[in-house]
Amino acid sequence: MDFIDEKDRTRVLLEEKKSSRRSALLLGGAALAGMALSRTKAFAQASTTVTDNDILNFALNLEFLEGQFYTLATTGNALDQIGISTKGGDGTAGGTVTVKTNPMVPFQDPLLKQLAMEIAMDEQNHVKFLQSALSTSAVAQPNIDLMNSFNTLAQAAGLGASFDPFASETNFLLGAFIFEDVGVTAYQGAAGLISSKTYLDKAVGIHNVEAYHAAAIRTRIFQAGPGAQAISQAIAATRAKLDGTGTDDVGVGITNGAATIVDNDANGMTYARTTRQVLSIVYGGGAAGTGGVFYPNAMNGTIR
Amino acid sequence: MDKLRDRLRSGVSRRSFLAGMGTSVGATVAVLATGCGNDSNSNPTPTPVAPPALTDADYLNFALNLEYLEAEFYLRAATGSGLSDTDAGSGAGTVTGGSQVAFKTPAIQQYAMEIANDELAHVRFLRKALGSAAVSRPAINLSGSFNAAASAAGIGSSFNPFADENSFLVGAFTFEDVGVTAYHGAAGLLTDKNNLAAAAGILATEAYHAGEIRTLITQLGDPYVTYANQISTLRATAGGGAETMLSGNTIVASDSNSISYDRTPSQVLHIVYLNAMAGTIFSGGFFPSGMNGTIIAAS
Repeated sequence: MDFIDEKDRTRVLLEEKKSSRRSALLLGGAALAGMALSRTKAFAQASTTVTDNDILNFALNLEFLEGQFYTLATTGNALDQIGISTKGGDGTAGGTVTVKTNPMVPFQDPLLKQLAMEIAMDEQNHVKFLQSALSTSAVAQPNIDLMNSFNTLAQAAGLGASFDPFASETNFLLGAFIFEDVGVTAYQGAAGLISSKTYLDKAVGIHNVEAYHAAAIRTRIFQAGPGAQAISQAIAATRAKLDGTGTDDVGVGITNGAATIVDNDANGMTYARTTRQVLSIVYGGGAAGTGGVFYPNAMNGTIR
Repeated sequence: MDKLRDRLRSGVSRRSFLAGMGTSVGATVAVLATGCGNDSNSNPTPTPVAPPALTDADYLNFALNLEYLEAEFYLRAATGSGLSDTDAGSGAGTVTGGSQVAFKTPAIQQYAMEIANDELAHVRFLRKALGSAAVSRPAINLSGSFNAAASAAGIGSSFNPFADENSFLVGAFTFEDVGVTAYHGAAGLLTDKNNLAAAAGILATEAYHAGEIRTLITQLGDPYVTYANQISTLRATAGGGAETMLSGNTIVASDSNSISYDRTPSQVLHIVYLNAMAGTIFSGGFFPSGMNGTIIAAS
């Protein structure tokens, strides 16, 4: 990967600081060079008790990622540019977003464009809802990378040197695919950790919405044909490898005459992932607390 | 059911949907109440039962009844055969209607097969989890129920979801979002973390199904989108609102915070008994003899 060229194409949004941008790129390179895809990179075990706020902030980090991806794909603008704050509840400035110039996807299919806009709105609502629920405890958006991250994951999945999820409708679907099922598994894994019944109810409700999204995206990948299906399978396998199980992810395809729209097990249940497994996926195998790929400087909050 | 009612949220806020529906709601309620009277209103005066505190097993059995319904619908549509005697449990009720759909599009057949497999897996999982406490399959109606629903929804005097693949998708639509709201409502009532994890896993699968079916119907366009929305309106009337009208930019059924709806068991029962009438309802619609278990009364 040539970072000079990448840098020229890079537009860093939000409250960018040159130093953090450089460090983000360097970390991206380090993660790429290391490509810690084996399970050998163990995560430190959390030693403190996890509070509901910790879990909700973990979710907020994920929603920032999804919110930025879909908002940029549908409008070309980042969250703060459409009026959604990325600041922390205490006023801490939000991090940067690294993304190519003109990320708006050239949608051809009106229904797909509508779907993308709907998902963007949902993710924006999730960000706003969690910020409201967390109030002054809400974390700021961490630095997010939506360019080098996809290139790194493409290489990890054996899909080539680079991958631009904003280049076409099919690429957008595959980019979205990377997030959605992970969101489902993250909320499912976190649900049992939440002590407040009210927050549990909300978390389950967001969990469901992520599953609706995942299904809509996966149905369209199914319809896009064997090529797109094969890529989704490679991505699913990579996610399963990154989380250490090797088995808890099913790509889109056909098995014994049945479609595999739903990412679930033999009991007809979606998978649950621990926060550590989710971090391993969105960090591309990067170490806890250090981050990588989508979160070049790790998430914000206590679960990071 | 007082205790249950106390423990459940009223869902009043979601009734704002109903408020927006205007006069058509009242008309639909009336049709529902009369159209399905045969099954529900003739039920003899129920023996009063002092309701004990509901357990996780009660909620899981409630879910099992819904899974029996979905499994019978999808298995029959996809394969022509329903649950085996083993999977239905001893003394299982009869299933009326349902036949293999003459699929013309391989993809739709593959979608149907996947969902059938999932619902069968849910039946088996819940039966295993409940062990000897598992209720058997209640009587299920997949014929007159759809006719009554179609009539009440204003779709027509009859509707056969097994007639063709597009009708099948509309039939599937009838169930899927309901399953999501039912599990969402029940999740917070479970006390055992393992049961919560299982419910969350099943519920997300139902949400995948719902998202898939809603996507496919929007791709079909009208009249199927209109049919779906007529059913959605019917469900809202019987089940306390909690619906998002289907369109190209409303694939997800959720509230203004983009959080999915939940329903109380009573609201779910009103929908599957196809009866929006006030008062206690013990059977009707898809469950002509009512559900099995302890959570059986729409109130």
